[in-house]
Amino acid sequence: MRNIYLIFRRDFLGYVKAWGFWLSLAAVPLFIIIGAGFGYFAASSSPVRYYTVVEPGNVISEAIDAEFRRSEARALEEFKSLSGRSEGVQTDAASAAATARKFVAVPAPAATIDELTPYLAGEKKVAGPGGEKPLFAALILSPDGRTLEYWSSDVNVSGLRFSAETAMRDLSRRDALVAAGLSSDFLKTADEAAVTVAEFRPRETAEQGAEVTTADRAPAIVAVALAYFLWLMVFSIIQYLLMGTIEERSNKIFDTLLTSVKLPELLSGKLLAVFAVTSTMMLSWGLFAGVGAAFGASQSPALMEMIQPFIAAATDPALIIPALISFMLGYVLYGAIFMALGSLCDTIQEAQTLLSPMMILLMLPMFAIFIAFNDPGSPVIDYASWVPLFTPFLLILRMPSDPPLWEILAQMALMAVTTALIVWGATKVYRAGAVHGAGIGDLMGMIKGAAGMKPKAG
Amino acid sequence: MGEAPLVMSGATKRFGGFTAVSNLSFQVPEGQIIGFLGPNGAGKSTSLRMALGVMQPDEGSVSLFGAAPDIKNLRRIGFLPEERGLYKKMTARDTITYFARLKGMSAADARARASELLDMTGLGAFRASRISKLSKGMAQKVQILSTLAHRPDFLILDEPFSGLDPMNQQTLEDLIRAEHKRGATILFSTHVMEHAERLCDGIVMLARGRKVFDGTLDAAYATLGRGARMAVEHGFDLAAALRPKGFEAQRAADKGPGDSWRVALPRGLGAQDVLRAALETGAPIVGFQPEEARLRDVFVSLVGEAEAAALDVPVAADVVEAA
Repeated sequence: MRNIYLIFRRDFLGYVKAWGFWLSLAAVPLFIIIGAGFGYFAASSSPVRYYTVVEPGNVISEAIDAEFRRSEARALEEFKSLSGRSEGVQTDAASAAATARKFVAVPAPAATIDELTPYLAGEKKVAGPGGEKPLFAALILSPDGRTLEYWSSDVNVSGLRFSAETAMRDLSRRDALVAAGLSSDFLKTADEAAVTVAEFRPRETAEQGAEVTTADRAPAIVAVALAYFLWLMVFSIIQYLLMGTIEERSNKIFDTLLTSVKLPELLSGKLLAVFAVTSTMMLSWGLFAGVGAAFGASQSPALMEMIQPFIAAATDPALIIPALISFMLGYVLYGAIFMALGSLCDTIQEAQTLLSPMMILLMLPMFAIFIAFNDPGSPVIDYASWVPLFTPFLLILRMPSDPPLWEILAQMALMAVTTALIVWGATKVYRAGAVHGAGIGDLMGMIKGAAGMKPKAG
Repeated sequence: MGEAPLVMSGATKRFGGFTAVSNLSFQVPEGQIIGFLGPNGAGKSTSLRMALGVMQPDEGSVSLFGAAPDIKNLRRIGFLPEERGLYKKMTARDTITYFARLKGMSAADARARASELLDMTGLGAFRASRISKLSKGMAQKVQILSTLAHRPDFLILDEPFSGLDPMNQQTLEDLIRAEHKRGATILFSTHVMEHAERLCDGIVMLARGRKVFDGTLDAAYATLGRGARMAVEHGFDLAAALRPKGFEAQRAADKGPGDSWRVALPRGLGAQDVLRAALETGAPIVGFQPEEARLRDVFVSLVGEAEAAALDVPVAADVVEAA
């Protein structure tokens, strides 16, 4: 144990002292903060753009304005729901920022597109509430009244166009109802009279209630998150294990180590070190997410209510125990493979030739995770979970569907046996690479005759 | 004398169809410095790796302190591999401390010992320097110190002098003598016979994976027929002149003035005896040089000139250092 600890300690500190570790550690929270900051900045700094509508009268202008008002009302509702604030404080700066209008109608400075083009091109400016600016867009109703032409120099900003389309549909519906002799409130009344569809699921006890809530969906979402978490962890250990082993091989350090510790001790120490490194990262990110969520929940009871079912799902033994077993076996299984492959490589370039097939192998369970996200009960997941290389990820995904106990136990047993076999084979490959100097070229020979490896001369 | 730290009995190692070491038997007596000699590719490193249990012999056996090599008896050994390597990002002191701890020393003892060794070898100022920042010679010194740090009973050094400049070679020779004085048994491999001549109590010579000699330096020299070089004026037949006196002389490649001859010394007679006999015959002597026995000559006499020429081929580390 002492030797395992010493190997673990050296490798762990070696990784942790590297700049790359701290950059990786900081990267995720930093990207989240920067991403959120960009989002907020983009929303708050988005310029107020002027548009004009060329039409006889102001029916279209009013319809677009009404659509903007409805959007703003929806945004305000969402803001109030998340922040848990009362009606009385809805006009503060935050709610104002959430509902600020980015498109402002101005009187048309000209009536034709030829005359409006200099305003759209920025050669001339129009006056508005935000001062003089070029015209962002002009909406021109065709003479026959059947087409609303949308003219703008910036084709990438489409918010105004979408609002105009929605406004036109509502306007058309209203005109049709009026033409049919019905009032404009008729459709609203009809919509309100529609039978609502409520979602239920059968339960063992009536006290639990039958209506479907977030708590029902949370296990599947948490399972996908856990499977993705394991996948991400395995994905991140690749570089650590490959680079670490390549460094030792190129530094010719194996002989010194193997006259001080047993090979299983060496491998265990190394696997534990990389596990600790990735765990440190994941826990740090988890801590960041937890603190963020706690802060969010303290600011918004509604958010706390939203998170609660996910916390309950993540701490459910029926999900977490198989997840932890899958996690450990999956980590050892893939860790042993990558360490063995690393021991055959002298350079990063050599390792890269091995990485491609391993990436493809690792992408397959990732596809399954995507499938599970949309359809947790997919038979694809059920069948693929019997492949031991994929079981660590896919068994977690199956758990919310309550698979038969014998299947869970059988898959775990299969996974354990496969892991043991792979560790056995990886130890052989590692010994061949580390002690006998075998290279990638010898890998096929080793696979063909694992029992009778013929190493190079030392 | 105690138990021999290393006994190899009929050890054979094959790699595919190639036999790297064949039926090798020798032992390293306690408290001695033994040289393991042979040209590159003779099987020295493979033999040492078998001795340490890094590789298993296909045939024969290895005994370290009376038992098969395992982590317990390997703790009593300090091993310097031929292919040197350290963790480049570790500091000099951490490196020595780490390897000493792997050999069983406590953290505090290992740290104190590392500092002591670094100070002793003039590397004290570099204790906090990363290995990657040290010169090649300094890094090599750190690796040697890592080998010695836990005060091993038995030191196995594979080509310890390769890659070192003459000054560091002398430092290493001093370290080996100091370790020997401390009581350590030492086995080191080399293809440079001069190191063995200066340091060893005994030698084991290897060629093409086979042992060709095992014994003391004196016994090695005794395998050579002793002789003396004599140069006489051109045309004088020294062989005919010395034959009646009981000496056999043969023409040798000329070096310097006159005709060169090599005169074999019969058992019990010295170089002065042949010189006296030649003067008595009236030989016109222009040069005289008693032959000095060298290990290289012993090796040549045992395996032939062609095999011995491989001794002069430097190992990769020497080439790098020279460059």
